[in-house]
Parts: sequence; structure tokens; C-alpha cells
Amino acid sequence: MASPQEISTMHSEFSEFSEFSERSQPLARLMALLLVLVTSLAAGAQEGTGRSMLMVDAGYASVHDSYLTPITYDGLDLGLSIEATRWTGSGRWLWQLGVGADYNHVENPSGNNDMHRLMGDVAFNMQRGWQGVIHPRLGLSVGPMTQVRAGIVYNAVNSNNPVTVRAHWSLGAAGMAWFNTRLGRKPVTLRYQVQLPVAGVFFAPEYDESYYEIYLGNRRGLAHVGWWGNRLDMTHYLGADLRLGRRLLRLGYRARIEHWTASHLHVHDVSHALVLGLSL
Amino acid sequence: MLLSRPDQTSRTAINNLSNRLFFNNVVQRCLSCLIMCIALVGCAEQDDFGHDQVGNFEALWTIMDEHYSFFDYKQVNWDEVHDLYRRRVSNEMTDRELFDLCGDMLKQLRDGHTNLIASHDVSRYWIWEQHPVNYDERIIDQNYLNFDYKRVSGIKYQILTSNIGYLRYDSFASGIGEGNLDLILSYLSTADGLIIDVRSNGGGLLTNVETLVARFIPGRTLAGYIRHKTGPGHDDLSEPYAYYFEPAKNHIHYLKPVVVLANRGSYSATNNFVSIMRGLDQVTVVGDTTGGGCGLPFTSELPNGWRVRFSSCPIMDAEGRLTEFGVPPDVRIDMDEHDRSRDAILDAAIALLTSRHLNPTTSR
Repeated sequence: MASPQEISTMHSEFSEFSEFSERSQPLARLMALLLVLVTSLAAGAQEGTGRSMLMVDAGYASVHDSYLTPITYDGLDLGLSIEATRWTGSGRWLWQLGVGADYNHVENPSGNNDMHRLMGDVAFNMQRGWQGVIHPRLGLSVGPMTQVRAGIVYNAVNSNNPVTVRAHWSLGAAGMAWFNTRLGRKPVTLRYQVQLPVAGVFFAPEYDESYYEIYLGNRRGLAHVGWWGNRLDMTHYLGADLRLGRRLLRLGYRARIEHWTASHLHVHDVSHALVLGLSL
Repeated sequence: MLLSRPDQTSRTAINNLSNRLFFNNVVQRCLSCLIMCIALVGCAEQDDFGHDQVGNFEALWTIMDEHYSFFDYKQVNWDEVHDLYRRRVSNEMTDRELFDLCGDMLKQLRDGHTNLIASHDVSRYWIWEQHPVNYDERIIDQNYLNFDYKRVSGIKYQILTSNIGYLRYDSFASGIGEGNLDLILSYLSTADGLIIDVRSNGGGLLTNVETLVARFIPGRTLAGYIRHKTGPGHDDLSEPYAYYFEPAKNHIHYLKPVVVLANRGSYSATNNFVSIMRGLDQVTVVGDTTGGGCGLPFTSELPNGWRVRFSSCPIMDAEGRLTEFGVPPDVRIDMDEHDRSRDAILDAAIALLTSRHLNPTTSR
């Protein structure tokens, strides 16, 4: 376990980050209302240290949804998210709240049709952290997480199956490993983070059930229990937080995999994105 | 072996070593699990049809095999159809040749909702092409309306000289505004009866069917039943789900006698409209059998980008009957193709409503 001195070292790295978050700049005020949600939960319960980051993702996406088409589409992935992180309990517990949205514009291999996918999510996790167990500058944390994620996929050329709704609520595990180092004289934190929902509930229509039938009132069989046997959902992040003047600059890579099978329907979405973030 | 109690420094070293070994073990196990998860996800089911002509043919056949809902009802042996057409497919075929062959294969289903759609053509099986047209807009405009009519929300309407209201709806794809419908029905309310002409209306949105029907029902009305495929098997169909329409609240209703005019071109959503209206006490259907098309069509896609539309969700009438091959009229009558001045179906409707107005006890 981490000694008090080691926790203090770990704590001090995040303290450097926190001083930036407490000095909101005019541009950041535009996001103030949303940040109330993001930061209040993490900061309100207990006095602690932490940061809030605004991140933009851009990269590649692959979307396979057999309700809409048996063909896998691929193309652009764009995302916008805010992540609030706070240390509490004398630096033993890490709270994270993330709110984000991502959009995919994907095309079929023939290049004669495209689809749009728009998703939004809110995720919260609370992790127990340890610093310096394997290496003095290496930290690890792990803990439970919960996530709500919902959105739509739209295929304009389809007749009565032009759109499908995605929605799930999951419980699972989140983990993080970070390594504090320096780039020249500036502190840098390298970080790997994973979110791994284990079980939950998700929405899926039956095999060829039309949304018109759902509109008429038939809502049987729309909710499914999700677990690793029928639903696997992972988000990986690998990146670095660098000091940039009075702010922190985040550069990283994020991979998101969402896979489920229900009612003989198959969904398999993958995205790989570069992440650019700035502390608020 | 002589054991001695470790001193404080040794205990701390042992604890640190133990902790590091524990975490190394945990990290290794976590990474192993992660790699296994990624490998499992990588094995996700994907389309595995070839992108050549044979692959596209097999993709089309399989999509229909797994999603089409009327094989048993139409007594089509889809495996035999595969054998019949597969032997004519080769990778040396041109796209047009493959398209024509696939289009011919789909015609075995005798389904107007089933089309193969490519950049150069749309394959089709349109039943109304095999029957009398039974509708000529020019005859009505010239000889019944004198080119004097109102038109709004895709609806043409007027009161005929016989004091019968005439309402023509070209397509259920045209949105109907509730306010527009109030004004239309208010205008037609002084007529002795109403003719709703949906001949050669090829369908559109089922929500527009509900909007229109809701003006002619006095209370909650069983409109029919709907089913859907629950899996890839031909028999994988859900239990029929009864659906009801409610009268339009706070809007004008028309409960006088109504005649609905139909022909073979009254297809899909129009077929659904006629099947529901036919069940209402004050409504008589005059003309020809509708074109059918009671399967809500879905769309899928081949590897080469061609799209295929097919009947997926069967919709039945209030008696639980499939109307895939049409709704029969209460009064069967054809237009006289040689008489370019009269619409025999419309004349029959006018006569029926006039006699019903003069003798209200006459049943349909």
C-alpha cells in the first residue's frame, strides 16, 4: 500500500492540476451550466483536489447494426466530452464523472450510402487509488462504475427501418494507471484508463420489429439484461497530460468498443480517436 | 530450522515485496482478461458474403430467407427458388444481367413491396399493371368537378352537383394537417354523404391512415393486428398484436354515410386504410379489389450497394385476415374503358349515397 508520503506525492501532482481548474477563464464560462453537473458531485461531497477537462475526439469509426443493414459501415468519429476528476479521502479515493457525446458519419464499402450515429453518455466511477506500489511514480486505481449511454443510428434510405435507438445502463469496473514524470522541466502525467461495464439493462427491438409497432403500443421484449455473454462494452484511453501555461493540455488516444447480441440482432461498433483536451 | 522474529526493517521490506508481487499478479491477470475480451469482440459476427456476383446473389437470397414474412402464406419454397436461379449465376455475368436475374427471382414472391434497387433500375412486381386501371383523373376533373375544386394537404375536395361530397387523396405520403382536415370536413358537412377516392393511391405513411380514419370513428376502434419476425426462421413470427385507433379529440368528425372508392392501385397504406374503413358501419367500399400489400416493408443491402426492400411485418385486418392480395369491395364495378365521359365507379357511389340519403334505413 502507499505510504502517507507517497500519497502526498501523488496528491501533489493532482494539486498542480487543481489550481488551474479553480481559475475559470471567460471561454470556459460558456460551459458553466454543464460543469455544475460535472463538478458538483465530485467536489461537493468532500473537500478535495482534482480537475475538469474538456476533450475533443477525432478519428475512425466502424458501425455494424444488423437491424439497419448486414453491411459494416466505416468513416468519421467525432466526440466532445467533459471529465471531472476529484481525489477525496486523503487521496485514497478517486471520483470521476464524465459527460460526453460522439457522432459518427460512416459510409458503406460501395460508397453509395451513408449512416449517422449520435450517442450521448454519462458515466460515474469511484476508484480506490494506490501510489508507488510497483514504482514510486506509478499509481493504480480501480473501482466500480456506472454508465448511461443512449443515442440513435440513422440510415436514410431504409423504408420502415431507417433508425434504431441505442440505450443502456450498466454497472461495471473502471481502472486507471498513471505515471508521473517530466518532459524537460515540466511535469507530465502519462495515463491509461479503462471503463468496463459488466452488467446492466439495454434496449433493443425484436429481430424485425418496426418502431411503428412500438409506437402502436407493443413494448414487450424491448428491455434486455446485458452481461458479458451478450454485451461487451469497453472504453480505453491512453495519453499524457502536459502543462501548457496556466492550463493542462491533454493528448491521447481513445478506443471504444460496443458489441451486443439480442433477438438475433448484432451490433458491433468500434472507434479509434485521437484526443485533445484542455483543463477548465 | 531455527526461525527468528524479523525486525521492523525486514517486515517493511517483506510487506513491500509482498504488495508488489500481489499487484504484479493483479496487473498481469487484468491484462490477460483484457486481451481475451478484445479477442472475443474481434470474433463478432460480420457479413461474410463475397463481393463478387455469386456472393451478391447469395446475400440477396439469404436476406430474403431470413427476413421475408410471407413464404408460408404464399406457399413459396424458397430453397427451390435458390436452386433454380443459383445455377444461372456466374461471376462472369455483368451487373445488369445479375440484376435482371435477381429481379426475376424476387418476382416469385408476387409482392409489390419487394424491390431490388440499383443505380440503373428498380425491379418490381406491381399487381395493378395486370388489371383494369379503373381511374382517370381527367374524367373526374372535367365532367364531375368542372375543374372547380379546393386542394390542400394533398387532398382535392368539392361538393358535387348531386350534393355529395367528393374527397380525393392521391398519396398517403402527403402529410395531412389536422387543421386542414377540420376545414375540409367542415366544408363538406352540408353534403348528404361523402365519397373518399383513394383509387391509384399507392400508399405512404400509416400514421396518415390513422389521422384520416380518426375522423370517421365514433369511439375506440380495433384497427387490426400487427406481427413481426422474431428470428431468421420462416415461422419465427410474433403473436398478433391488436392495435386500436382513437377518435380525433377536439376535431370535426364525419359520421354520415361514406363511400370509399378503391382499385387495384390502392396499395400498401391505402390497402390498410380501406381494410379499416370497410369495417365501419357507415362505410361502403365501391370499385375493384385493392392491390394488397399488407406487409410493412423493411430495407436491407447487398455487398455491392444494391438495396432490397421486402415485406417484413404482416398487418391483418380487424378480423385477423391477411390482406396481402387485397381487400374486396362491397360493390364490385369496373369503369367502361370506351366511355371517356363517365366514371362508372363514381356514378355508382353517387347513386348509393343518394339512395341512402333518401332511404336512411338501407343497409350497405
